[in-house]
Amino acid sequence: MLISRRNALRLGTAAAGSLILPRFAIAQADRPSITIAVQKITNSNTLDVLREQSNVGERIFFGSIWEALIGRDLRGQLQPKPLLATEWKRIDDQTVELKLREGVKFHNGDEMTAEDVVFTFSRERMFADTEPKNRTTIKAFEAIPTPRPGKELPPEVPAVARRAWPDLARVDIVDKYTVRFVNATPDVTLEGRLLRYGSDIMSRRGWEEAASYLDWARKPVTTGPYKVEKFTPDTELLLVSHDDYWGGLPPLKSIRFVEVPEVASRVNGLLSGEYQFACDIPPDLIGEIEGNAGFEVQGGTILNHRLTVFDKNHAQLADARIRRAMTHAIDRQSIVDSLWAGRTQVPAGLQWPYYGDMFQADWTVPEFNPELAMSLVKEAGYKGDVIPYRLLNNYYTNQNATAQVLVEMWKAVGLNVQIESKENWAQIMEKGDTRAVRDWSNSAPFNDPVSSIVAQHGPNGQQQQIGEWTNAEMNELCLVLETSTDRPARAKAFRRMLEICEREDPAYTVLHQNATFTAKPKNIQWKAAPAFAMDFGPGNFAL
Amino acid sequence: MIRYILTRLFRAMITIALVVTFAFVVLRLSGDPAVIILGPEAPPDAIAAFRKAWGLDQPVWVQYLDYFAAIFRGDLGISMRDGRPAIDLVMERIPATLALTLPALMLKLALGVPAGVYAALHQGTAFDRSVMIGAVFGFAIPSFVLALVLVLIFAVTLGWLPSGGRDTIWHAILPVLTLGAGGAAALARFTRSAMLEVLGRPYIRTASAKGLPWAAVVRGHALPNAAIPTVTLIGFLVGSLIAGAVVVESVFSWPGVGRLLVVAVANRDLAVVQCILLLVAATMVTSNLIVDFLYGALDPRLRHGATAGA
Repeated sequence: MLISRRNALRLGTAAAGSLILPRFAIAQADRPSITIAVQKITNSNTLDVLREQSNVGERIFFGSIWEALIGRDLRGQLQPKPLLATEWKRIDDQTVELKLREGVKFHNGDEMTAEDVVFTFSRERMFADTEPKNRTTIKAFEAIPTPRPGKELPPEVPAVARRAWPDLARVDIVDKYTVRFVNATPDVTLEGRLLRYGSDIMSRRGWEEAASYLDWARKPVTTGPYKVEKFTPDTELLLVSHDDYWGGLPPLKSIRFVEVPEVASRVNGLLSGEYQFACDIPPDLIGEIEGNAGFEVQGGTILNHRLTVFDKNHAQLADARIRRAMTHAIDRQSIVDSLWAGRTQVPAGLQWPYYGDMFQADWTVPEFNPELAMSLVKEAGYKGDVIPYRLLNNYYTNQNATAQVLVEMWKAVGLNVQIESKENWAQIMEKGDTRAVRDWSNSAPFNDPVSSIVAQHGPNGQQQQIGEWTNAEMNELCLVLETSTDRPARAKAFRRMLEICEREDPAYTVLHQNATFTAKPKNIQWKAAPAFAMDFGPGNFAL
Repeated sequence: MIRYILTRLFRAMITIALVVTFAFVVLRLSGDPAVIILGPEAPPDAIAAFRKAWGLDQPVWVQYLDYFAAIFRGDLGISMRDGRPAIDLVMERIPATLALTLPALMLKLALGVPAGVYAALHQGTAFDRSVMIGAVFGFAIPSFVLALVLVLIFAVTLGWLPSGGRDTIWHAILPVLTLGAGGAAALARFTRSAMLEVLGRPYIRTASAKGLPWAAVVRGHALPNAAIPTVTLIGFLVGSLIAGAVVVESVFSWPGVGRLLVVAVANRDLAVVQCILLLVAATMVTSNLIVDFLYGALDPRLRHGATAGA
């Protein structure tokens, strides 16, 4: 047996067995303080929701630091719920009016008002000199500011903001506690965009008092139940209770996120009582951890699906029948059962139930049918030429094992897929003759297919932008989904998009829903959200 | 002597330039930092904006010339990931790394050299065999395995020491032990071999035959002569003070230069990687220079030879 770090951990925990009981070092004189071990705190070394676009960022931002006008119910199934806005209504197809919650205090003690909301969506903070696609229809609400030295936005921030709000023309103040979001085009997804990652509200004074963008981005002044006390990039983030939080007194005095890159070290720290939570636990370690009396692993599926993505320009994949064969050769349930211990699921294609009436409940991923796959391979006249599969080393949980299983499943139907290990995403996406199959995952930042199938696989999505795949009908349907206000027509268009992308001319195939697991002592009463976000708000922590 | 020093310094500069060039070429050709830093779900327009802002849309040779010109101006660049000067990021991490590597070096010297000398002086005894078995284990066991074993014993099972982090002095004990064990083992084996070789030389027999006490023979003749190869190894250990704890820092979540290097390489944060490499190369070259000078101090033949040659 190879002695890897994980095997060493397994041997150790097995030897220690049930002797290990939770040892708490939680100070409980007032309220408890906890330490959470994570693999990564942020990728960008900032706490700016528009710069840190990652799952790890979601974990520390939502439920702790940042809040939007419309929230997601982290204790339910992520349904939209009032957060910093108490109610909202449509004025017309382009305008949403929101009533702000009164008495909300920022971390600096200021009350949140409509001015802060407008500033959050301003050029200075969000859009810089980018323009809404159809701005000529509506006049701009302010001049392009000349930022103070050091306050210039990093270039990716306006690009991300404009991707989230492509047609936002302006935000109007109706009164101190009422704002209107005005879009340049009709858009049924405005409410969804308000709850998405990146639409969170910040203090105008907090921004203005910061010496530079970086100073602000490392200690943003927001409204969440915890405020940033200290952030040491790549090392630790200390949050302390925001005692004036509008939702009540937070249950924890402080939360310390520490970066522990090695999974064995995270688990060891949990078992030895240094950490109260250990995040990013691989499914194959769940049994070992729960074998110790007093510990459990929580968590489950999140708003993120794992995909296998195809490059239809590759010589062997140009024929859609080969890609279709690959989709039918995969026994997805077996992957879920064997590699994920059954703790995730095979979803209904690239969609989530929180899409509401846009969710296609009767849609499924291509059935596991090796005979059909073999006949498609035969029909296509495939001669056994190599189909390269560019693979990153476990960027995703179970990525290597899943890739090996997939290669065997494809081999079983006569496809010669060979893994090429790559070191980073740039190498994975590099255009060339050997780009054919790769891994990816897609999220849905808000509750509409525009946020996923259009954003990722539409004409402006990554797959088409890097030249892997395109389809004229799909691109026309994207336009319908982005601009139509006719909900049945949108649902029909979405259905057709699924047929094209997943069945007829596969751009990708969904493997399974992703899941995240967090280990903790059993006597901490806390409920994991169906998301990366960790909710430590009032009512979700007790000893 | 001045010519000798200048030649060595020139060679050191060439070494550093080659290290920097090699790192630039390898890192630039093996991935676009924009895609790596912004991640696989970043919108294409954000990636394009990032590339333009950092000059990544320029030809590689233009980027290389710009980078080298900046180094000569004393500008080691800005971290693409952090937005701060790379040198600031690296300097912030050095105290943490030295807090591990300096005590570990002391431990290596305190354990390895006496154990090696004593084992050589008692060759073939149970102590000698025990030291050598321990040394083989210490040298052969990978540091991450030793680290996890120590954590499982002292942190998880006994609960005596913390398993990771850098909050108190107690947090340093296990990483220092892990780092120290391998180096002490290597030093013990090296010192023992050097001592055994010297103890078999005719001048040792001559000194003994003259009636000198054995302790004086060892102190006056064996130890100074055996010190030369040992000093060479110590020179390497000193040279690796800055970046010699990459694995241990990762396992123990110790926020030092090693972890910064891992993160910077993974993100193709070129300025930070280059800055660390420059520092490491400079440390290694300096320690080797010092070792060269120590040779002269330890061995009069070398000193006189150098003078005669000059």
